Amino acid sequence: MSKGARSAAARERIAAQRQADRKRDRRRRLATIAGVAVVAVAAVGFGSWYAASQDTAEAPRQGLAPTTVNSDGSVTMAQAGVESPVLDVFEDFQCPACKSMEDSSGSTIRNLAAEGKAKVVYHPITIFPQEPTRSNSIRAGAAARCVTDGAQWVAFHDKLFQEQPPETVEGFRLNDLVSWGKSAGVTAPDFADCVTTQRKAKAQEQFSTTTMRQQKLTGTPTVKLNGKELGNETIFVPAKLRQAVQAAAQ
Amino acid sequence: MASDSHAFRWSLSAPVAVPWVTTLARLVLGGVLIVAGWLKIGTPALSVQAVKAYELLPDGVATAVGYGLPILEIVVGALLVLGLLTRFSAVVAGLLMLAFVVGIASAWARGLRIDCGCFGGDGTLAAGQEPAYLAELLRDAGLVLCAAWAAWFPPGRLALDSLLGLTPPDDDDLLDDSQEKENE
Repeated sequence: MSKGARSAAARERIAAQRQADRKRDRRRRLATIAGVAVVAVAAVGFGSWYAASQDTAEAPRQGLAPTTVNSDGSVTMAQAGVESPVLDVFEDFQCPACKSMEDSSGSTIRNLAAEGKAKVVYHPITIFPQEPTRSNSIRAGAAARCVTDGAQWVAFHDKLFQEQPPETVEGFRLNDLVSWGKSAGVTAPDFADCVTTQRKAKAQEQFSTTTMRQQKLTGTPTVKLNGKELGNETIFVPAKLRQAVQAAAQ
Repeated sequence: MASDSHAFRWSLSAPVAVPWVTTLARLVLGGVLIVAGWLKIGTPALSVQAVKAYELLPDGVATAVGYGLPILEIVVGALLVLGLLTRFSAVVAGLLMLAFVVGIASAWARGLRIDCGCFGGDGTLAAGQEPAYLAELLRDAGLVLCAAWAAWFPPGRLALDSLLGLTPPDDDDLLDDSQEKENE
């Protein structure tokens, strides 16, 4: 074999070796990339699933705790003799976050009252300073004040959140409020008159101003457990809200 | 391919600062994404509400986005900070930021009065608060630029991509590759 042929064979061997190395490197690189990608996608998938599971509302229990509409327009819901812990719920019928909280945690709040694990007090207030949301909220809040029966108030409360208008348009019109009251089972004889004449509008405004000042509210929804404000990460997550209330009961 | 070789030549003559700028872009973009995701992830209901506040997506889609976005931001942010799958992560982050720009601009154009919900919250403005659309748009546009830089010049210094040998082929590899093609 000539010297030239030998070195050519050597060159070929080296080239073949290098190519094999490159192939192996490429396979390893692809495997690493695929591994990282799978982990990342799995993390996003699991995180989304977990978020959805955290935001799953409790099934409503059969039967409400006895519910009373108080003279100041707040509403107390508690089994007889249950005085603590007290769960104060401050919400505005026009506030989208309040609707969102009702969708997620509303059934939990009600269940806790029905189970005798908390005394729940609803404070429907108007927090919006600008139009059209302010008038929308006052009309809805004033209409709720025209309901005298506790269970009917709860049904009307749910109906109002269900029918919540967007924040940019006039909504909660008086004739709608009257018919929603009827469909929610409100039987107070002067309900229609009370709503259409806005008889309770002034009371709604005054109650809101006083409540916001006394309770030092910065927004709605605000939920207080024995007077202490709960964080959003608690009140918007049904299981955490239940946990907080049960811990306070012990 | 032509644009690739152009970028390649440019990067050869570019100052040594380029990889460090990529690192900075990665850290800024990744850091913002992690914080934004972290502030939203504890309150999925609010996150959904913030997406719905834009009134752009159908309810079902808005709900899915509300649940998925916070964790997506955290994962993509972490990949960017680590410098892992840098180009891909930067492209995803850039598309996210572009989507936010479109959403905010559209909310502004339609005269909605919302908070962008970028760092938690439900998308409603606090009492007396005015929308800050311009500032939000400028911030997100800046982050789009960060993403574009990181996608163009990956992976920068201090990147796991380099440590794990995942970097795009360097000069030698390119030459080898072209030789290989000739051989084949």
